[in-house]
Amino acid sequence: MVRFFRLRKFHLIDLRINIGDITFRNPVFTASGTFGYGIEASYLTDVSKLGAIVTKSVTRFPREGNPPPRVVETPAGMINSIGLANVGVERYISEMIPLYDNIGTKVIMNIAGTTLEEYCDVLEKVEVISSNICGYEINISCPNVKKGGMQFGVDSSMTEALTAEMRKRTERLIIMKLSPNVTDITSIAKAAENGGADAVSAINTVVGMSIDPETGKSQIYTTYGGLSGPAIKPIGLAAVHKVYQSVNIPVIGLGGITTGLDAVEYLLAGAVAVQVGTATFRHADAGEQIINELHQFGDSKSIERISSLTGAVKTYTE
Amino acid sequence: MNKIIRKENCLVTENLRLARNLWSMKFQAPEIVGEYSGAGQFVSILADDTWEHPLRRPMSIADVKGDCVSIIYKTVGAVTKSLARLQTGNAINVLGPLGNTFTGWDDENDLILVGGGVGLAPILNLYKTVKSSTVILGARTAEEHFFTHSPQEGVFLTTDDGSIGIRGTVIPTLECKILSKQNPIIFACGPEPMLKTIQNVAKKNHIPAQLSVESYMACGMGICQGCAIKKSEKEKSSVPTYHEKYDLVCVNGPVFSAEEISFD
Repeated sequence: MVRFFRLRKFHLIDLRINIGDITFRNPVFTASGTFGYGIEASYLTDVSKLGAIVTKSVTRFPREGNPPPRVVETPAGMINSIGLANVGVERYISEMIPLYDNIGTKVIMNIAGTTLEEYCDVLEKVEVISSNICGYEINISCPNVKKGGMQFGVDSSMTEALTAEMRKRTERLIIMKLSPNVTDITSIAKAAENGGADAVSAINTVVGMSIDPETGKSQIYTTYGGLSGPAIKPIGLAAVHKVYQSVNIPVIGLGGITTGLDAVEYLLAGAVAVQVGTATFRHADAGEQIINELHQFGDSKSIERISSLTGAVKTYTE
Repeated sequence: MNKIIRKENCLVTENLRLARNLWSMKFQAPEIVGEYSGAGQFVSILADDTWEHPLRRPMSIADVKGDCVSIIYKTVGAVTKSLARLQTGNAINVLGPLGNTFTGWDDENDLILVGGGVGLAPILNLYKTVKSSTVILGARTAEEHFFTHSPQEGVFLTTDDGSIGIRGTVIPTLECKILSKQNPIIFACGPEPMLKTIQNVAKKNHIPAQLSVESYMACGMGICQGCAIKKSEKEKSSVPTYHEKYDLVCVNGPVFSAEEISFD
């Protein structure tokens, strides 16, 4: 009997995705605040494998951040209240931006501010110098500072106005980072789209609290902090799906992604790309692992392009 | 800050109960040992494969021998209890070495090492490294001690209930030893109230002290900015600053000069 062996065609999923006119080599980015300014963990992971790195929030002036305690572990998650501790835009420009020349991946700078002028100042300062930053993620959703952009992130008209001001000042990508701590995330997403954003990212951390029952003390100095990690993945997925259905610009999904399959869920919900945050604290090379797992997933399902997954979730209702 | 940090899967070679709720674990960590620079440094251990407990646990290095690292840990929560169930041949994922080391003494100094509770790990590590010293180890009761009280060898145990060694906290013994030494220098690790008191004792007696502090941390390498510790008050800066008010335990510490930090 003659047996026919059909050799399986070597298959490699095309992981490239587009946001605006930029092509990223894959859809796995780091999440702001979990990968420093992009260079700190370079001996634990190959940064050049990542689709992009998103930097820690940079503000107009340096910031000390909140008093400790700033982090606490919670079931399948963690709460942080760092308070945007960062070097400020001037040191960022002189010390960090030069390091991006040979970083081997795309850099998205995250900007935070307390007033419209501050956001604009930071952006303008970076715009006038030459850098290989490919875009800006605008943090309008930090839950941990009294004035940290959250007043923008909960208000559609302020979101639109801020986005429009940013849009006037740069040709680079503008990604507005959305908060889940709002009544209707789609109205904020639409405002970002109307203001001229190239994309939105969702979600920032979920407001949370943790108490030590033995001492009766709050485990976070600011009482409330931002919950992240696998605990918030279902919240992030729902937000991405809602936003995906309400706007025509790309959605970048984040919240509790630790595996390639988590990333696939976000893509199916409507994301074109994902960001990996809390998982990076556990394994600095989490992003690299997730990229490998996306390759495996694509291979096992014979998917040609990762972008074909975006929004492809099969729901029971419309 | 430019120290090399490694992450490796380590084979457990020993996991022993030392005293009540106190365990010692030894594991093979050749890459971490290769970068190790001295007593005071710590590693961050991933004991849970599931995501129920997402964060690594920082643990002071208690000893480095050959290509093995030892830690001492207290079984307090689910994660440390699961550590205690590990057996020889099991693997754990370890990040390290992290943080700085005890420094600042010379041959002229009389070293006084003080460890309270689980804080004895870096103190024991230092004890093994230095030629001679006085060691004061504190616990609540005899069952929490695994050392022998031997004043002639310079090892003093204290217990709150007097069940072994000297009754009371480590403080009266420390104050007594300071008086009998020429150029004392204190190295301490333990619960925050103990460190705060030692800070005051050192200040009052005008002697140098180095304190190894504990903190919750997410990354262990200066990225998350989670393990902030307040620096002692200097003149208030009128301009916005970064890392003038707070240091990070993971990269600026865990060992600090007593006058550098504030527990208030």
